[in-house]
Amino acid sequence: MNEITRGQLAAMLLITDAFALFCFTGSISLITVAGLSAGILFQLLLAAPLIKLGGIREKSALIFYLVYLIMWGGLLLGMQWKTSKHIYIPYENSAGIWGKLLISGVIALVCLYISSAGIKAMGRASVIAAFIGAVCIMIAAVSGIAHLNIENLTRAESGRTLTEELITGFALSGGTGSLAILLGITKGNSNKNVLTYFIGKAILTAVVTLTAVLVAGGIMEITDFPVVAAAQVSQPFSSQRIDSLFLIVFAIFAVFSIAVQTTASAYIFGELFPKFVKFRTSVSLLLIIGAAFLLWKVPLNSGIIGAGAAAALFAVPLAVLICKHFISQKGRA
Amino acid sequence: MENMKIIPDLKQNIEKIRELAGNSSDILVNEFCAGGIHCALLCCEGMLSISIITELVLEPITHIPQKKDVQSLFQHIQDNLLLSTDRPTANEYKTLFRLLHSGFAVLLGDGMDMALAFGVQGYFSRGIQEPSSEGNIMGAHEGFTENVRTNMSQLRRRMKTPQFVMELFVKGEKSKTDMCLCYMKDRVPAELMKKIRSSLDSIELESILSTGYIQPFVESNRFELFSSTGTTERPDVLCSKLIEGRVAILIDGVPFAIVIPKLFCESFQTLDDYSFKPYYSTFIRWIKYGAFVISILLPAVYAAIVMYHPELLNSTLLMLLVESEKKAPLSIITEVMGVLLMYEVIREAGIRLPKPVGGAVSIVSGLIIGDAAVNSGLISTPLLTITALAVISGFVVPELNAPTTVLRFAFLAAAGLFGLFGISLLACAVLVNVCATEDYGFPYTAPLSPFTGKGLGDTAVRSGIKKMQNRGFTVEEYHE
Repeated sequence: MNEITRGQLAAMLLITDAFALFCFTGSISLITVAGLSAGILFQLLLAAPLIKLGGIREKSALIFYLVYLIMWGGLLLGMQWKTSKHIYIPYENSAGIWGKLLISGVIALVCLYISSAGIKAMGRASVIAAFIGAVCIMIAAVSGIAHLNIENLTRAESGRTLTEELITGFALSGGTGSLAILLGITKGNSNKNVLTYFIGKAILTAVVTLTAVLVAGGIMEITDFPVVAAAQVSQPFSSQRIDSLFLIVFAIFAVFSIAVQTTASAYIFGELFPKFVKFRTSVSLLLIIGAAFLLWKVPLNSGIIGAGAAAALFAVPLAVLICKHFISQKGRA
Repeated sequence: MENMKIIPDLKQNIEKIRELAGNSSDILVNEFCAGGIHCALLCCEGMLSISIITELVLEPITHIPQKKDVQSLFQHIQDNLLLSTDRPTANEYKTLFRLLHSGFAVLLGDGMDMALAFGVQGYFSRGIQEPSSEGNIMGAHEGFTENVRTNMSQLRRRMKTPQFVMELFVKGEKSKTDMCLCYMKDRVPAELMKKIRSSLDSIELESILSTGYIQPFVESNRFELFSSTGTTERPDVLCSKLIEGRVAILIDGVPFAIVIPKLFCESFQTLDDYSFKPYYSTFIRWIKYGAFVISILLPAVYAAIVMYHPELLNSTLLMLLVESEKKAPLSIITEVMGVLLMYEVIREAGIRLPKPVGGAVSIVSGLIIGDAAVNSGLISTPLLTITALAVISGFVVPELNAPTTVLRFAFLAAAGLFGLFGISLLACAVLVNVCATEDYGFPYTAPLSPFTGKGLGDTAVRSGIKKMQNRGFTVEEYHE
């Protein structure tokens, strides 16, 4: 049976979250760190109905998740498109539209291959990719220590309130859609599975955002992508640069995060239309590419995306739970 | 010939055998009288030992006293004469020919619809020699040979337990190759055995001449860069695998055994690891991991850095590379591709050519082409150094040489097109391919992913033998 382990689930979702953080636009301040952290705690509490359900299997709810995953995948692909020029993807004509299209096309092709290998293979690969990513992030974070300025904690201002940052936290949590779907095929206790993911997410968010504030706090107003800027500023050696290390993590995480959405969508297609076997991964990816064209102007941290994430994490599982309760009541009567 | 019964009349019988054999010159028929009955001893030239057949079969048979009929003659031979330890009988021509072609001497009697066979094989075969593909310092210096029965005896000498089972069977419609399924019946997962048997049943090959004929039948059907079944030329290594609950297939005529399932980490383990101190073995193992990565990625990373990411280098190194590359007339990617391709051509020539000429190839390639190419400025020295390093690193894990070679080129092409970005994307695809590789539910990447902490004791490090003794590991721990 195509089941994944707790570690694999956490790895797949954390890669998506990390990529969303890399693509975060706007300023990051201490309030952002607090808002995002509080948001994670809040999300953990809101995940109670989902934990109770142990994953979504109801067909009507699956339709919502299919749309949501395609939209979120499209947003991630769009963000990759926007962020790539800041990461310096070294293709000779990468700055032009055709160069960007080629790069996105290559990413999509690799995503298609990864997704078609199946959820088990992707889960296994995600653990290794997450490990490599974690090592690279730690190198960048440790390198940042030399450039760290405590004053940046107060200097950096995001211009948003704690409530707004909380919503931003939700908006960056598009992985909740995948969580709802993949939880159903994860071995072991749902409580532990969800808790492991949220603990990992809290650590990741804290390390990445705090490093970004401490390293790039002084230049926050003039930078579009604060996490990318922090990685570029934090150089461990005076005579050579390690930006390329971040490029590797960015590319790997981009591919895996989009592939996770594609695989989860393909899985839903399989559940909704069991006879549709052959091209469901390709169709999912095509829909994600289509969504990317539609949504590429939408910022990742907008309220509507946050509302979508909240619905995927809480509202829909709660509705399913209530429906199930009423159906069982009716059955007993 | 299918199910054709042996004719009782000796003359007709011999004629029929000759006809079925197409009058093949290697089928020898010796007609004589034994116990007053007209008999014939059939054998295949060169397949048996002349001295054994004369001493143990012909001599005692011709001294048998007068018998009333052929039945009592055969009964006498069966009951009173111990002509060989292996004494099967044949009622059909199909069995008769299989025995004959396997080196048995077959006795036919006039009026008997059955044949007696005596195992007197004595064909020439290579003796037990040191394995050529798996070098070793501290362990045994014996390798498998082409004779499946010799290989079986080598295994039995090391595993004197009734739990160790060897099942002989025949495959190959034309070649009738003897194969042997080896396993420890108390260790091997029952489901694995069942699936392997079913896979072997699906073999309908005409001949089986190497391990490569069988491996596709016991591996998964999807495209896998790395093989999920292993091969070994060493009986001691095979015994260690069998103790871990794996299954092995020996093939007559092939000095290698197929091991099922195989894990990625096993390619980095050698018998010597368990002879040296754990700290040294751990050190060597990490050297091998590093060498594997270097052998695949070094030329690609070099090309990517020089072409797209010079900021990764410090100024001194950068200036050094700029200086040497400035003189080279070709682009870096062409240079690297050219050098790697030349190496592959030279390597192939060295393998295929007769040994004395193979040495000449090394001299011509190493001294003349290499030296001349650098001196003429066609290839830069750093590039040649990088390529040589990558190639030599590949020798550290010879088992993975084939995928390493192809991946080296693929990564180089990705680096030439997109730099480190291209390398990262290809690495993702390769990683997923490796992670998708599994055989009968045993993931190739175990114990790394799916992660099994206990498994790291013989992967990330090499724990002490005492510690491993208490672990009682079987491969079933990794089953998903």
